[in-house]
Amino acid sequence: MRPLAAGIAALFAALAWAEPASVIRATELKKDPATDAPTVAPLAEDARVEALERKGGWTRVRTDGGAEGWVKMLALRYGGAGESKQGDSGIGQVLNVARTGASGAQTTTGVRGLDAEQLAKARPNPAELKRMEGYAATKDAAAGFAASAALAPRQVAYPKEGG
Amino acid sequence: MRRLALLLLAIALLPAPAGAQFRLDINRLIDSARDIGRASGETDEKQEIQIGREMAATLLGAAPLVANDAMQRYVNSVGRWLASQTERPDLPWSFGVLEAPQLNAFAAPGGFIFVTRGLVERMRSESELAGVLAHEIAHVLQKHHLKAIQKSAQVGLATNVLALAMQDQNSAARDKLIAFGREMYARGLDRSDELEADRLGMVIAARAGYDPWGLPAVLQTLQAMNPQDSGLALMFKTHPAPAERLGALEKAAAPLEPYSAQPQLAERFEKNVRP
Repeated sequence: MRPLAAGIAALFAALAWAEPASVIRATELKKDPATDAPTVAPLAEDARVEALERKGGWTRVRTDGGAEGWVKMLALRYGGAGESKQGDSGIGQVLNVARTGASGAQTTTGVRGLDAEQLAKARPNPAELKRMEGYAATKDAAAGFAASAALAPRQVAYPKEGG
Repeated sequence: MRRLALLLLAIALLPAPAGAQFRLDINRLIDSARDIGRASGETDEKQEIQIGREMAATLLGAAPLVANDAMQRYVNSVGRWLASQTERPDLPWSFGVLEAPQLNAFAAPGGFIFVTRGLVERMRSESELAGVLAHEIAHVLQKHHLKAIQKSAQVGLATNVLALAMQDQNSAARDKLIAFGREMYARGLDRSDELEADRLGMVIAARAGYDPWGLPAVLQTLQAMNPQDSGLALMFKTHPAPAERLGALEKAAAPLEPYSAQPQLAERFEKNVRP
């Protein structure tokens, strides 16, 4: 029961989030995630919304007035117009516990991770590369992995330059 | 033979006159994928993979792999399935999650792809992971890093370094290659190469059966963060701003509308990266 509940909670967290956003140009709030769906309401440029869920290129939003519907995800920017985004993940300050090397032994070190300074000092670690190559999947195994989630290959052309 | 190698190395370290020779070699490497039937094609690809292994090992020297076998295998399954849908399905593709709290992703020539733990933790679904991996796969397909080496050769990086570095594992030339790799990852690729990788990345995700908007979803996550966040410093230094990348994707994304309902696989992602 507990893993199931945790799974549902995780799924819920993944699908349903509410984040303040604004539309970058005048657009339409659609009843369904499709261009030909009926329009619920027009949205003016810079209109504030709460983003609730995404489906493909569409995001379900709630307007300040309480109307709900779908807008093109690429018409949204987060954090609102002219509003400064605060906060920091605290990466600069934290000492991380890292498991390093082929032994997988846990060592507490002042690992800063991958910033410009770490990169400048980096020396090749061939043992770790061997480990990485050991995780590689074969083409057949990857195809089986895809099929198990009903991922079907499609023929899709690349866009033209700049398109 | 040894004296010949030393002589070649000496020539290699002369910046200007030997530059033309180097450009020829690199051009051959870049062209080889388009010319699969050619006898030398295979050798050129081998060399590309070896250059990539040096660069991948260097990145792993900056940050090791996350010690989570299940997560590493999962990311390799997603990545290998994506790569199988491309024009270079038979490279020795391998993928790794780096133990780093920063948000970033990298590629090295020949099919070595990295994503940081910090970026994976901000993702919400397998389609978002697929979008980021597909962007990096596109850099390998288009040989963006080899082109960056070629460009540096024009401004004086040693010539023929690559061939020599491959012959002699302890050569000064090999050190040069490693130094170049570090510099390239700190400086980033051309802006136009990043935008191209975004466009191709969405298509590769669609080909693999995923919701193609996973990559723009990750870009929106980055766009929503404080741009001064220390975890974004290197990523923002080496890539166009997320808002610019999102704007540039609008035209390329429009024809992908028919694939909008393809799965995001949030549940499988959660199970494999947050057990």
